[in-house]
Amino acid sequence: MQTLLELYSKASFIRAFELHVAVAAEAGHVPGLVHLCTGAELVEVAICSQLKGPRDQVTGSHRSHGLALAMGANPTAIAAEIMGRKGGISKARGGTQHLMAPRNGFLTSNGIVGAQVPLAAGAALTAKMMDARGIAVTFFGDGAANQGAVFETINLAVALELPLLFVLENNGLGQSTSVQYASGGSDLLKRAAGFGIKTASMDGYDGANCLNVAADIVEYVRKNGKPALIEAKVPRLSGHYFGEKADYLAHHNAEDPIENLAAQLGAGARAKAKSEADQAAHDAVGDALNMGEATVEASS
Amino acid sequence: MTEKLTIAQALNKAHHQLMESEPRVVVIGEDIVGGAGLGGKELGGVFGVTEGLAARFGKSRVIDTPISETAFVGMGVGAAMTGLMPIVEIMFCDFVGVCFDQLLNQAAKARFLSNDTLEMPLVIRTTMGAGDGSGAMHSQSLHGLLASVPGLEVVCPSTPADAAGLLKAAIKSPNPVIMLEHKGLYGLADNTKEDLPLVKLGEARLVREGRDVTIVAVAEMLKRAEKAAELLAARGIETEVIDPRTIQPLDAGAVLYSVQKTRRLLVVDEGPHFGGFADSVIAAVSSEGFHLLRSAPQKLTPPNTPVPYGTQLEAAWLPSVEDIVNKIDEMMYEE
Repeated sequence: MQTLLELYSKASFIRAFELHVAVAAEAGHVPGLVHLCTGAELVEVAICSQLKGPRDQVTGSHRSHGLALAMGANPTAIAAEIMGRKGGISKARGGTQHLMAPRNGFLTSNGIVGAQVPLAAGAALTAKMMDARGIAVTFFGDGAANQGAVFETINLAVALELPLLFVLENNGLGQSTSVQYASGGSDLLKRAAGFGIKTASMDGYDGANCLNVAADIVEYVRKNGKPALIEAKVPRLSGHYFGEKADYLAHHNAEDPIENLAAQLGAGARAKAKSEADQAAHDAVGDALNMGEATVEASS
Repeated sequence: MTEKLTIAQALNKAHHQLMESEPRVVVIGEDIVGGAGLGGKELGGVFGVTEGLAARFGKSRVIDTPISETAFVGMGVGAAMTGLMPIVEIMFCDFVGVCFDQLLNQAAKARFLSNDTLEMPLVIRTTMGAGDGSGAMHSQSLHGLLASVPGLEVVCPSTPADAAGLLKAAIKSPNPVIMLEHKGLYGLADNTKEDLPLVKLGEARLVREGRDVTIVAVAEMLKRAEKAAELLAARGIETEVIDPRTIQPLDAGAVLYSVQKTRRLLVVDEGPHFGGFADSVIAAVSSEGFHLLRSAPQKLTPPNTPVPYGTQLEAAWLPSVEDIVNKIDEMMYEE
């Protein structure tokens, strides 16, 4: 299992990457809106570090830059895709909400809330048929937790015994709507348990807890070939999209999990990891920016 | 060696051949084995197309699902993205309303969004067609609607050989293919070759030659067009009948080639009156071959209402053989 320092280092890289993307967006280098994953890094890194692509496959939501990076997709190609550059991982056909790096085990992110969840059932079916102990993992938010596609897929995974891990990242917000308002029944884990699936909680503010729960639950799915569901409590440290200026955000207070983790590490090691992460993110986004906009000829 | 098979039997045999030759083929749908959790004799699907598959290839490859079209169609899409070759059955095409996101946004777009690095060997089989009293939500013909989605290929077979051959082409296509099988034609029998050879996507079939007017139609409307052509021939009007077989990509060239000779075009279709398959064929011919036409291109479709239930209502709703004859008479005497 990885150490807290490794977790900090990878999470800091994703955080720095997102902040550089935000700067690029502010400077007008991103075609559309970007949805940053800031706040969910510990959860995503902890789970993805238990996986190995392409045997294992991950699907994610519109907020998936960090998942693609955590699975090992090329950061420059991901940044280039987000910014619509020539060297984008899909030559700028997909963009920020449609990142695909299946060779690294990141099958796809998605522009439709919850639609990535049934796709992961397919990856799980393939893993089951190939019989190499591969699993599929799907990340979705508390907003998607009210989509029929998610309910249907949890039920299907139980009925067909699919090696599929559901990760419900509960950041308390579906776009601008609170989970308390939108959910019938405040306990989403109990709701899932009604489908007869194994469930577990993860504290996204506590790095050690993230690592332990991730190791246990991934091992459970892999060993038993059965589905499980984690509810991970995380903050959302930016707007629904970067740059959103809305009143509701002032009512959504959250501490920063990476800062919590930093406080547990030695000052020297922490500073070194952070500076390396910043430099790597700076280089990836900078290199992507220098590629120039994707052209029609290059993308066809 | 030829064998007389119905469309249902030809499809069943093609499934057996595909599953035998390609271990990555899996078949997914509701009640395709039947009696899951209860035992008893295999049902083999509502129309018998999947009969005997589970007994021969096992229930790990022939998978009965809960009634959850979004989840199992999405599972098929994800499985195709990761290396399987799924044939997914949606029992009636009306049910695409339940899982449209997985077709419109997932199946149709994944390959494009991967910059064509992913292949999508996914086949979705479903039914189409009115005429059997199934009512408004089990009788529609949505081939035109599905064909309007960039990224989807759509086929509508009208013979046993084409049904089997198009299924084989569909599973080899790197794009998702939706096959609509007319409920009223499953029992239609014809000669087939033992190996059920592949029928290329995007190639029309010339059903009947004639010099006076071209009819384009698929499935039950094709059968009616053939009957109308017989009646018209008795009166000296020679009709050319074309079965496009593939809706998307449309073999517009075959239709234009025919219209070059006949200079008249009629499309007969069970799809919608507005924005449907008939309109697309007419648009393709008009924009490329307006100079060839000596009368306005015409269509015969049902009226702009849902499919009605009562036997007489439903019969009146569908274009009939007589409607086709009358429409062609109008076109012939228009000039």
